[in-house]
Amino acid sequence: MAKGYNDPAMEEKFQDRYFHATTETNPEFIKEIERLGRTHAHMCFQCGTCTGSCPSAPRSSYRIRKFMRRAVLGLEKEALTDPDLWLCTTCYSCADRCPRDIAPTDVIMAMRNLAFKEDIVPRNFLKTIQLIYKTGHGVPNNDANRAARLKLGLEAEPETTHKYPEFIPGIQKILDHYDMKETADRILSEGEQ
Amino acid sequence: MHEYAFFLGCIAPNRYPGCEAAAIRTSRNVGIELLPLKGASCCPAPGAFGAVDLRVWYAMAARNICLAEEMGKDITLICNGCYKSIYEVNERLKEDDELRDEANEVLAEIDMEFKGSVDVYHLAELYYDPKVCGVEKIRESVVRPLDGTKIAVHYGCHLLKPLKERRFTNSENPMWIEELVDALGAEAVQYRNKMQCCGAGGGVRGFDLAHSLDITNEKMINIAEAGADALTEVCPFCQLQFDRGQVEIKDKFGIEWGLPVLHYNELLGLAQGMSPQELALDLHAIDCKPFLDKIL
Repeated sequence: MAKGYNDPAMEEKFQDRYFHATTETNPEFIKEIERLGRTHAHMCFQCGTCTGSCPSAPRSSYRIRKFMRRAVLGLEKEALTDPDLWLCTTCYSCADRCPRDIAPTDVIMAMRNLAFKEDIVPRNFLKTIQLIYKTGHGVPNNDANRAARLKLGLEAEPETTHKYPEFIPGIQKILDHYDMKETADRILSEGEQ
Repeated sequence: MHEYAFFLGCIAPNRYPGCEAAAIRTSRNVGIELLPLKGASCCPAPGAFGAVDLRVWYAMAARNICLAEEMGKDITLICNGCYKSIYEVNERLKEDDELRDEANEVLAEIDMEFKGSVDVYHLAELYYDPKVCGVEKIRESVVRPLDGTKIAVHYGCHLLKPLKERRFTNSENPMWIEELVDALGAEAVQYRNKMQCCGAGGGVRGFDLAHSLDITNEKMINIAEAGADALTEVCPFCQLQFDRGQVEIKDKFGIEWGLPVLHYNELLGLAQGMSPQELALDLHAIDCKPFLDKIL
């Protein structure tokens, strides 16, 4: 709770200057973010250098400073359900310029991890998971490219899981350990219904 | 000869194979041998994978690093996205016992273990490092100087940022890739907001293409203002965003830039005498001919 003034008139006057915790607030939110993002997000003093450095800010309603505030205030639902969460290009300009040495980008990454746990995730991320599960690559080879590779004197398949598919089961084990494929399949099929 | 395990990633081998072919040949000319890193996968993409579950990002990248550890070779690569995943995960797992133990718990299921015995370098970084190659050696390898051409440099984000997790010293106005470009006989030109993102990262290209291209278009405006004949970068994903992105910008916004986009290794290949065919420049969405006409 915010500390009050002794003077009741002052208390009344500045009532709206405080943040009043509600049931919508989760005090664990900032702790989870700091653990996952490995950055001391609670130190944010809202200077706005992050938003000022952000290439996404001038062309959208995405304001990384707002997400920083939501982190500190524990406004978990508000942060995780805002589609602007997915407009960070992860350029890390904010992280390099933050005067409090926070990495706001990593706060966004932590929030995205938490959103994914609630099944909130854009479809393109899930399709990348499916491709990597199947081929080992997020951007797999194709016939036109195979032909081009041969012309260059390269082998049709690069020296990756493409040429050595025996490594793919190992990758699938890692992804299965975290139920990634299952989750991606489930969310994508739910979206098609 | 300096030997490195060559981590390919996805976009270079599977979309711009000229980058892969060029990297191998141009590096050999300056005393760097790139050895195949057999069975490597996607790095995995830091934006697309780190965003959904960082634990998977650590484990998957660690698997790729383990392959190089088994070879006993340091890793080099030609993509900034791969650099973020492979370099950063390598450094973090070396420093943080808890993260390393968690990754190793998963890797044990496939009989692998992250030991922390190798280092990770971007190939451009090795070219600049006098202990491995250096600008002079690059200059000496040139047989067809790119005289009379103006080239804009896009560093890309994940090579240099976050700076405190990198071995570089400047992410606001670095000049070392310009030195590498000047060494080829070209003139590296400066432009407004040079360090701005290409717009592709963080899954934004897949999530909101128009938004992502609007960022790219702002870069194109600034690069055109500087009168560049071509744009060079050290990241195939940035290359895809600038190259194919120009076609998408024309479709969506009706703006046509026609600016050739070449990976630094493709540029180096041209300067070392490789033909446009040997670099598969015909696979580029934007015709490189206006630029090639100036040097061939």
